[in-house]
Amino acid sequence: MRNFTLLLTLCMWASAGHAQRFVTRDAQISFLSETPLEDIQAESLAASAIFDMATGELAFQAPILSFHFPKALMEEHFNENYMESEQFPKASFRGVVAGLVPDKEGEQMVTVTGTLDMHGVAKERAIEGTMTRDGEWWIVASQFEVACEDHDIDIPKVVSENIAEIIGVTLRAELKLK
Amino acid sequence: MLALALTVVLSPFVSWGQDDLMNFFGEEEKPTVVTSAFKAGRIINVQSPETCGEGEMNFIIAHRFGRLSDGWYDLFGLDNAQMRMGLDYGITDRIQVGVARSTFGKTLEGNLKWRFLEQMNGGGSPVSLTGYSVAMRDGLRLPEDGIERKGVHRMSYVHQLVITRKWSPEFSLAVIPSLVHRNLVDRPDRPNDVSTLGVGFRYKLNRRMSVNGEYHYLLPRPIEDGLHNSLSLGLDIETGGHVFQLHVTNSRGMFERAFLAETPGRWQDGDLYFGFNINRVFQVRETR
Repeated sequence: MRNFTLLLTLCMWASAGHAQRFVTRDAQISFLSETPLEDIQAESLAASAIFDMATGELAFQAPILSFHFPKALMEEHFNENYMESEQFPKASFRGVVAGLVPDKEGEQMVTVTGTLDMHGVAKERAIEGTMTRDGEWWIVASQFEVACEDHDIDIPKVVSENIAEIIGVTLRAELKLK
Repeated sequence: MLALALTVVLSPFVSWGQDDLMNFFGEEEKPTVVTSAFKAGRIINVQSPETCGEGEMNFIIAHRFGRLSDGWYDLFGLDNAQMRMGLDYGITDRIQVGVARSTFGKTLEGNLKWRFLEQMNGGGSPVSLTGYSVAMRDGLRLPEDGIERKGVHRMSYVHQLVITRKWSPEFSLAVIPSLVHRNLVDRPDRPNDVSTLGVGFRYKLNRRMSVNGEYHYLLPRPIEDGLHNSLSLGLDIETGGHVFQLHVTNSRGMFERAFLAETPGRWQDGDLYFGFNINRVFQVRETR
């Protein structure tokens, strides 16, 4: 009995030791709303990301207030009227990476299946992107789209010609072995 | 026994594994600035803590119509209006300068506003502090009464501190002590200096509309005959680039000296003026 427990503990230790985690606190996330009238762009350099190589789990989190716009009024409207950032201060994505060969150097196409949680609404998503191994770094990059409607982000008719219903999101993160 | 041992051994690892991923995000919690306690630069008449963003210009056109109690003859005051046109500019996100002209007393004003302390979420100041100073120049023709007056006699000044707390996304409250100084007063019973203590609030009805109110209590007592405390109630409507503010007030002047220290009307006497402020923001310099 005692031996068994010892063995089990050792096993757990071993696997815990294998849990290689790659992290960053300054992932870059930008988005673009394109309409014939106006292009609106914003960027955050303050998103966090963590990738657990043992489980294949990849998670991002971005403070909504960290998105900056070229115009102060846009930023105010973004936080006050659309994202309601005081109520929903963060957007996050948590998923599992499929199709990754852990030890392969160079760029690999991956699909990450998980939950995108924004504006208090969680959506199951399969998001495609690339992951590039470079020694003790993983570079994660992706471009995907978010429909405002999917996350209950209401765009009133008055501004529907200025704000796109589908927002293009670009993400790049350099995760370092922790 | 085995099961128990398994559970005991396994559980710390399992929970450790799950929590850790989230813990990583938890560690980064930093205090954040509480923004948008009010929608516009003014609650109604008085300053809110909001300033123009850096490189932003706000054009404000405001009207106060005649007395509602004037009835049908003046279409409840709509036949005659006082107007104020103002331009504010954000030097930084927290420092703003402005100029304005009112038809009331043909008054020209220059003002400076500085939100020098921000309210923080998650550690830091529980309130924001904003200083506001305005110099006003009376532009009316001087009466020919044989008394010699100089340019400085036209000047008056108001200094105030706007102490604001946004209690919730819906409700913000401001306490606003003000000091009014007039270089020259035209009545012997009128003091050169008057101070007031004001309160203002905003309650958001939805994402685009809010109810606003403000009240200014004249200090010290007893106050000059025929003057009253200023009380205003209104509605803010935001439509993209504009903020429309509609209100009813017993103060007709739209600059600080007039509504803080020289409000002759009273609500209970029907001395009510309907009015509006329209705020239009332009980005004149892209800075970010």
